[in-house]
Amino acid sequence: MERKSYRRAYEGCLKRVQKPARYIGNEFGSVHKDWDKDPDMMSFAFCFPDVYEVGMSHLGMKILYHMLNEREDIVCERVFAPWDDMEQEMRGNNIPLLSMESYIPVREFDIVGFTLQYEMSYSNVVNMLDLAGIPLRTKDRGMDDPFVCCGGPCAYHAEPLSDLVDFFILGEGEEVNNEIMDVYKTWRSSGRDRDAFLEEIVALGGVYVPKFYDVEYNADGTIKRFEPNRPGVPKQVKKRIIMDLDNTYIPENLIVPFMETVHDRIMLEVFRGCIRGCRFCQAGYIYRPVRERSVDRLVGVADCAIHNTGYEEMSLSSLSTSDYTQLQPLIDRLLDITVDKKINLSLPSLRVDNFSMELMEKVQKVKKSGLTFAPEAGTQRLRDVINKNVLEEDLIRTANIAFKGGYNRIKLYFMLGLPTETYDDVRGIPELGKKVVDEAFFSIPPEERKGRSVSITISTSFFVPKPFTPFQWEPQNRISEMEDKARYLKDNIKSKKIVYNWHNSDISLLEAVFAKGDRRLGEVLITAQKMGCKFDGWSDFFDFDRWLKAFKTCGIDPEFYALRRIGYDEILPWDYADIGVPKSFLIKEHKKAYAGQTTPSCREKCSGCGAASFGGGVCFE
Amino acid sequence: MSKHRIKFSKTGMAKYISHLDLLRCFTRSIMRAELPVKYSQGFNPHQKITFSLPLSIGVTSECEFVDIDFEDGITHEEILSKLDKSLPPDISVLKVDNIVKSANDIVSAEYRVSLFTDEEFDCEKQLRDFFGQGEVSIIKKTKKKGEVQVNLMDFVKSWSLPKNRHEKTKDGIRTEFSLTLSAGGQSNLKPEIAVEALCGYLASCAKVMSYDIHRTNIYCQAQNGGLIEEFS
Repeated sequence: MERKSYRRAYEGCLKRVQKPARYIGNEFGSVHKDWDKDPDMMSFAFCFPDVYEVGMSHLGMKILYHMLNEREDIVCERVFAPWDDMEQEMRGNNIPLLSMESYIPVREFDIVGFTLQYEMSYSNVVNMLDLAGIPLRTKDRGMDDPFVCCGGPCAYHAEPLSDLVDFFILGEGEEVNNEIMDVYKTWRSSGRDRDAFLEEIVALGGVYVPKFYDVEYNADGTIKRFEPNRPGVPKQVKKRIIMDLDNTYIPENLIVPFMETVHDRIMLEVFRGCIRGCRFCQAGYIYRPVRERSVDRLVGVADCAIHNTGYEEMSLSSLSTSDYTQLQPLIDRLLDITVDKKINLSLPSLRVDNFSMELMEKVQKVKKSGLTFAPEAGTQRLRDVINKNVLEEDLIRTANIAFKGGYNRIKLYFMLGLPTETYDDVRGIPELGKKVVDEAFFSIPPEERKGRSVSITISTSFFVPKPFTPFQWEPQNRISEMEDKARYLKDNIKSKKIVYNWHNSDISLLEAVFAKGDRRLGEVLITAQKMGCKFDGWSDFFDFDRWLKAFKTCGIDPEFYALRRIGYDEILPWDYADIGVPKSFLIKEHKKAYAGQTTPSCREKCSGCGAASFGGGVCFE
Repeated sequence: MSKHRIKFSKTGMAKYISHLDLLRCFTRSIMRAELPVKYSQGFNPHQKITFSLPLSIGVTSECEFVDIDFEDGITHEEILSKLDKSLPPDISVLKVDNIVKSANDIVSAEYRVSLFTDEEFDCEKQLRDFFGQGEVSIIKKTKKKGEVQVNLMDFVKSWSLPKNRHEKTKDGIRTEFSLTLSAGGQSNLKPEIAVEALCGYLASCAKVMSYDIHRTNIYCQAQNGGLIEEFS
């Protein structure tokens, strides 16, 4: 096929932009295929709606990119959002959005897939479609246009993108992505229309096609009816997950970027899911049940990855690393292969209740980095409400171990605006910080202290109610309430040993709106993109007033989505997705939260959440 | 002798890799190649790698040099084959040798410049006129003094007349010539600054739509006298 080459013009742009290494591709480990070798070759553009160094840190992309490219009949190439300077250059020179590997226009791919990791990247999805020259709305796409799909954690509730996305993939992609490509292969030569393809992939399970559902609204703006509009389409789409993580595809060759990325290291995924059930945490519900990888498999993968990448750091990846049942033997065996090569092993996501000196000393063997813990709330009462089963004693004990071990910087994460929060809870945050200093550090006799002093960083973010959590019906605090609380903390943290920083409040509102929004928000997204909204996760670009203008233009009140207490019987915009945990369980958990009752972890006692229906994992240990 | 000098090329899109990124790229390539590299002592050990002369972003090259410390016993051939296999596609090892010349003696570098213009122009005359000027004021950025005004001609060591004239390509009409500029610790000029000045000068007769710069040689002061010789 004759294809217009944009390479020379694209290259010219690179001389005038910052960090050109974001756009060049050709890294060690990237896969380059001959597009024209096989006329039946299917092409998949894997798009990450953020800048290169963020996208290249994402494990899911690495897995699916290499998995699809293992197939002879598929070429999968990466696409990232160009930074503003590059976007200006590209628009100015009439260069459409291109893939990293072959510099081929994204609109020429068969399937264009976005991974949705956070709601604040939705404007970038719209902007990238626009830059690619793909019609924004599905109804305007024809036979020559690609199919646009989305996966990732937000794909379970990305109704705001429904007008722009042909299909969503719910759950883990290792199996279903391959099945979709198989269907595409036969459909392409069948001469049937686009709907025929979509109908066929719906039958695979785990695929949600928004246009196959009709939505009606009540006068008060709530949903009256949300139903499939054709036969063969299920009322609820159940997520697809991989039950045997040892026997699923794990890439052994990884791309090694030239420039520094956010997570510039080997990421070893030890398990999926989380046994804890914190009531604010969406990941804790959507990834159920917990499924572990074996030590043997992990060590094998680690060995290959070290050999194939040359990375100087490896980290264990999961939602709560210290909950891995084989953590000690895994670390011992990993250290056997990392220490000699001067590879730093890091363990993020540790919990304060099962942190040991022994573990810390092991990780410390190579390099000592700062420690971060997330008590999430300042008082035991509120920690019980959110089911963060961490005791103050645990935190003090852990901090004490860390200080004795020579760490002198500890970060503590909290959330403001949690359901039932009072100023007693807010006050509890600096008090806890002070106790860490007084009881965990100054209790150590001066001659035994490793550092002369300590520094505690307290960070707060604002609670965002998320779908598929027991708090999905909760209203968010108003911006003024959030800011009052942050100001209160700022004014009341006087110790020089404690540093306080907090996240933006207006962005938290928008995050709640797009997390819980419905398909009427599609027009707002399109309008906002036209007004220039993009990179909303970056403070240099986020412009709240511009967003408010977009909402106003579309006649939509953002507060309707974020600040309203929703009734249990209301139809929710994300009810179409079945994560394996039914609403009845979430309601039970919500009521327990208000009663201040905690729920034990999956390993202590099964609470009957429903995830056992997947037939494996922690439910059957 | 455990220190080796590796000559390599940096072509294609690799020209956009910064100096720091290139260092990281070599570090990881050495790890992949499982070559017995030596580490510095101290709290945060790092591989002992030193580049002879940094290359501007956007410039390709066929004569880059990096010195690496390895444990004794490894041969030049072994380093060449293993390292070359482990490097990304646009970076290739050309030669591995002992270190004889000092990078401190580098005085100049030669570049092949290709200009792509929208129309034909009398390139011989224009280049002669441009480089014949006694003084061309340019802005040079330095770490210590910030932006300073200097005379371009103080940095131009030599230049050649175009080899091919009016060669038509899909990117425009190509004019190619070579340019040798001061380089190294004593006096250094990034080639794109000289080329940009030339493009500005040519604006009256032709529009330079794009240009390529490729480093072809590095020269140094010979140890035994005042002569200039090829760095290797």
